[in-house]
Amino acid sequence: MSNQIAFWCCAVLVVIGALLTITRRNTISAVMALVLTFFALAAVYTLLSAHFLAVVQVLVYAGAIMTLFVFVVMVLNREEQEPWALRGIVTKAVGLGALGYLMMRMAGFLFTRTAARLEAPPADWGGVHNVGELLFTDYLFPFEAISLTLLVAVIGAVVVARMPHPHAQQAANSAPEQEHAE
Amino acid sequence: MIDQFPLHWIPLFPLLGAAINLLIGRRLGRTLAALIGCGAVAAAMLLGWEATWQLGHAAPSATFTGALFRGTWIHASDGNYSLHLNAGLMLDRLSAVMVLVITSVGFLIHLYSIAYMEADAHFSRYFGYLNLFTGAMLILVLGDSLPVTFIGWEGVGLCSYLLIGFWFDKEQNASAGRKAFIVNRIGDFGFVLGMLLIFAATSTLQYSDLSSAPALAQLRRPLAIPGASYATFAALLLFIGATGKSAQLPLYVWLPDAMAGPTPVSALIHAATMVTAGVYMVARLHGVIEIDPFASGVIASVGAATALLAATIGVAQKPIKKILAYSTVSQLGFMFIGVGTRAYTAGMFHLVTHALFKAGLFLGAGSIMHALGGLEDVTQMGGLKRKLPITRWTFLIYCLAIAGIFPFSGFFSKDAILASAFGFDFPELAIWPHWLGHAIYAAGVTAALLTAFYMFRAYFLVFGGEFRGPPEVHAHAHESPTAMTIPLVVLAVGAAGAGLLGVPEIFHPEMNHFEEWLSPALFAPTLLHHSAALEWGLMGLATAVALVGISLAWWLYGRGPAPAVATLAARLRPLHRLVENRYYLDEVYDLLIVRPLRAVAYVFWKVIDALLIDLVLVRGLALVVDLFGRMIRYVQNGDAQRYVVGVVLGIAVFAGLGANWVAWRAAPFEVEMHGAEVTVRAHGAPVGAETRPLKYQFDFGDGTIVKLPERAVPIASHHYQGNGTRRITVTAYDPRWGTHSRESRLVEVRTR
Amino acid sequence: MIPVSHFLALGAVLFAIGVLGVVIRRNAIIVLMSIELMLNAANLTLLAFGRARHDAHFHALAFLVIAVAAAEAAVGLAIVVGIFRNRHAANLDELTLMKR
Repeated sequence: MSNQIAFWCCAVLVVIGALLTITRRNTISAVMALVLTFFALAAVYTLLSAHFLAVVQVLVYAGAIMTLFVFVVMVLNREEQEPWALRGIVTKAVGLGALGYLMMRMAGFLFTRTAARLEAPPADWGGVHNVGELLFTDYLFPFEAISLTLLVAVIGAVVVARMPHPHAQQAANSAPEQEHAE
Repeated sequence: MIDQFPLHWIPLFPLLGAAINLLIGRRLGRTLAALIGCGAVAAAMLLGWEATWQLGHAAPSATFTGALFRGTWIHASDGNYSLHLNAGLMLDRLSAVMVLVITSVGFLIHLYSIAYMEADAHFSRYFGYLNLFTGAMLILVLGDSLPVTFIGWEGVGLCSYLLIGFWFDKEQNASAGRKAFIVNRIGDFGFVLGMLLIFAATSTLQYSDLSSAPALAQLRRPLAIPGASYATFAALLLFIGATGKSAQLPLYVWLPDAMAGPTPVSALIHAATMVTAGVYMVARLHGVIEIDPFASGVIASVGAATALLAATIGVAQKPIKKILAYSTVSQLGFMFIGVGTRAYTAGMFHLVTHALFKAGLFLGAGSIMHALGGLEDVTQMGGLKRKLPITRWTFLIYCLAIAGIFPFSGFFSKDAILASAFGFDFPELAIWPHWLGHAIYAAGVTAALLTAFYMFRAYFLVFGGEFRGPPEVHAHAHESPTAMTIPLVVLAVGAAGAGLLGVPEIFHPEMNHFEEWLSPALFAPTLLHHSAALEWGLMGLATAVALVGISLAWWLYGRGPAPAVATLAARLRPLHRLVENRYYLDEVYDLLIVRPLRAVAYVFWKVIDALLIDLVLVRGLALVVDLFGRMIRYVQNGDAQRYVVGVVLGIAVFAGLGANWVAWRAAPFEVEMHGAEVTVRAHGAPVGAETRPLKYQFDFGDGTIVKLPERAVPIASHHYQGNGTRRITVTAYDPRWGTHSRESRLVEVRTR
Repeated sequence: MIPVSHFLALGAVLFAIGVLGVVIRRNAIIVLMSIELMLNAANLTLLAFGRARHDAHFHALAFLVIAVAAAEAAVGLAIVVGIFRNRHAANLDELTLMKR
C-alpha cells in the first residue's frame, strides 16, 4: 500500500514536471521543472527495483545533462517572445489528434487486460553488482562503444559550438538575406 | 561448288577503309586518307580479279561461296514458314562481272578523286563515303540471297544520299540528297514486298534455291487474277525496286538532281555502278522473271519508254552534267530493254560498256569543269580542244562509244540489245501484243539517234568553235593533273576496246567471249538468232542512225550554235519548252505527290506532333508533375516539427490498422438457410486447429442475441418464427485491443 | 504490488507530453528537453518490462540509452549554440533549411 501511494505521488510529480517543462515561457523555469521530473522518475525507478538506474538517472540526467542545459540557456540568455506560433497550426492539430488517438488505443490496451502478478525480485536484482556484472560481461562491447560515442560527441560538440571563423561570420551575415529573397 | 575463296575480304577491304577514314580520317592527313581510300579499293580489285581468274579456270558453272560472318544471321519460324539465313556471299560468273566493274572502275574513280577533291575540306569524309559505297555495292552483288543483297541495296542508297548531299551546306544539294533517298525508298518498298512475296511462295530467299525447279514451280502457282502467278507480282514488285534504284520511269526523277554531288561520285554511283543494280537484280532473278512473259514485257516497255523520254530531254539541257544524267537514264533504259527482252547477256554487256564510257564521260566532264572553275553550262563553253587535249580526245572516244559507232564498245552492246528487241515476241501466246518487239525496237533506234545527237551536241559545244564564256575563265583553263588524266585514258582504252569482248557471231563465230562467259550463270538464256541478212540490216540501220545524229549535231553545233538552232527552237517553241523543262514531270510529281504529302505531313505535324505529343503528352505530363510537386512542396517544408507530426500520424495509422485489423477481417459472415432454420458462420471460424481470440455477438434481428465466449467457434444457429425480412448483425470484439467490427445483412425468411 | 501497466501508462503519458513539446514549442532548447522526456519515457517502459520479466538485461539497455542521451544532448545543444551564433535565431520554425 505504501508502494501504491509512493507510485501515485511520483507519477503525479512526473506528469506535472513534464507539463511544466513544455509550458514554461522562461527557459530556466522549464529546466528546473525537468530536473523535478527526472528526480521523480528516479524514484519511480526505485519502485521498479532498478536501484542502479535510479542513481545513474540522478547523476547523469539531473546532474550532468541538466547542468549542460542550464549553461546553454545562460549563454543564449534569450527571453522568448512568442512561445506558440500559429504557423502550421493545422498540421499541428492533426498531430495532436493522432497523438490523442494513440493514447486512447494505448489506454484501451493497458487497462482492458488484467494486470500480471509481479513477484518480488531477488535481493540484489537491479543493484550495482547485478547490472555492473552484466555491463562488463555481456555488454562489454556496447559499453566500450558507448564510451567512444561519448568522446566523439564531446569533440563534435566543441567543434560545432566554437566561435565561428571570420569567413563564416561573413557568410552568416548574408544568409538571412537569401532567406528573405525567397 | 569448288574450294573456298576468301570472298568476304572483297567487301571488307573497302568497309575497313571506310571505317578508318570516317572515324579517324581527320587526324590522318590527306595523303594517308587518300592512300587508305584507294588502297582499300585496290586490294578489293586485286582480290576480285584473282577470284575471277580462279573462277575462269574452274568448271563453267562453278560458284565460290563465302559469308560475311560465320554462323546464322537470321533464324525465324512460326510453324508455317521458317527462315534460316546466313550472311552468305556467292561469286558466280554474273557477280564476277559486276565485281570487276565495281572495283576496277571504282579504283580509277578513287584515283581521279585524289586530284579532283584536293582542295576540299572534308577530304577524308569523302573517301570514307566512297569506300563505304564500294563495300556496300560489293555486298549487293556478292550476296547469295535477297536479304543480303538488300543490305547492300540499302547501303548504296545511303551512300548515294550522303554523297549527293556531300556539300550539304547548300540547301539545294541537301534537298537533292533527300529527294534521291525518298524516291529510292519507294522503290525499296517494292523490293521488300517482292522479296516477301517470293518468300511466301517458296519459303526461301537463297538465289541458288530460287533457280531450282521446285521453287520455280511454287512461283508458277496462280495468284489473284487469272493468268497471273506469284512470279508475275514478285517480278513486278522487284522491278519497282529496280526502277527506283536504276532511275526508270516513273521514279527516274532523282537521278538528274543527284548531279549535285561531286562529279566523280556521279561517275561512280550515278553512272557506272549503283544505278545498274536494278539491271543486275533482274539478271540475277531472271528465272523468276522469265516465268511470266508479261513481266518481261513490262520491263522492256518501261525501259524503252525511259530510254526515249530521257533522250529527248537530254537534247535540250544546258549543264553538261544534266546532259550526262539524262543520257544515263536513257542508257539504263537500254539495259532494261536488254534484260526485259530476255537478252540478259546483252543487257549485262551494255552495263559493262556503259560503265566504262559513261564513267569516262563524267570524269571528262569533271575535268572540263575543273579546268573552267566549275562552269557547267555547255552554251558558255567552246573551243577547248587546244586547252584540254587529253580530255578532248578521250571525250571523243566516249562519245563515239555511246553513239554506237563501229568498232567502239557501244556499237556491239547496243546492237545486241536492239537485235534482241526486234525479235522479242511470243508467237505461241494469243493475247500477246505481237507488235511490241518492233515498237520497242523503234523507240530504241529513235533513242539511239537522239543519243548520238545530244552527245555530239555536247562535244561540239564544249570543244568546237570559239569560247563563249567569260574571257578570264578561258585564260585560266588548263589540262587536269595526271591523277585525273590517267583514269580518263584507261577508261578510254576500255570504252574503245571492250566491245571486242562481245563480237557478234556474224563477224566471227567464236569471238563472243562475253556471252560465252555468262551463259553458265544465266542458265538457258534465250538466244535469238536472226537471219544474217536481217542482222546486217539492223546493224546498218543502227550505224546509219548514229551517223545521222552526229551529222545533225555537226551541222547545228559544229562551230558553235548555228543560227539554225535559234530558228528551230523558235519554230518549235512549245515542243522545245516542253523538252527543256523535262516535260514538267517534276512539277507534275510535285503537284500530285509532294504537295498532298506535305499537306498530310503538315496536319500530322500540327495535330499529332505539336498538339498531341508536344502539348498534351510532353507539356501536359510536365504540368501534372509540376502540380504534384507544388502540392508536395507544402509537405516538404523543412519544418522539423511538422515532420514529427508526420511520424506521429504514421504511427497512429499503423496502430489503428493493427488494432482493428483482426476484428475487421473476422466480422463478415455467411448465411445458410433451410426454411426457418438459419445458420450464420462468421469469417473468424477456425483456421486449422486454432480459433482467434475474439468474442462474437450474433443478433438475429428478432430479439434473439447469441453471445459467444472468447475463442469460441463463431457459428450460431437460430429458428425463426414466421415469415418476413430480418436483419442479421454479427459483431466481432477483439478484447486485446478493445476494438470491434460489425457487419449486417438482410435475409428473407420463408417458412413453408 | 503496483501492476506493470501503471508504469507503462506513465511512460506513455510522458512520451505523449514529450511529443507535444516537440510539436508545439518553437524554442529549440525546450524541444531538446522534450526529446529528453521522450527518451526517459522509453527508459521507464524498458525498466517496467524488465521488472515484469525479471530480466536485468533491460537495465543494461537502459543504461546505454542514458549514455546515448547524454551524447545527444551535448551535440544537440552545441548545434543550437552554433545555429544561434550563425543565424541569431533559436526558433525551430524559422530554421527551415532542410527544404533546400
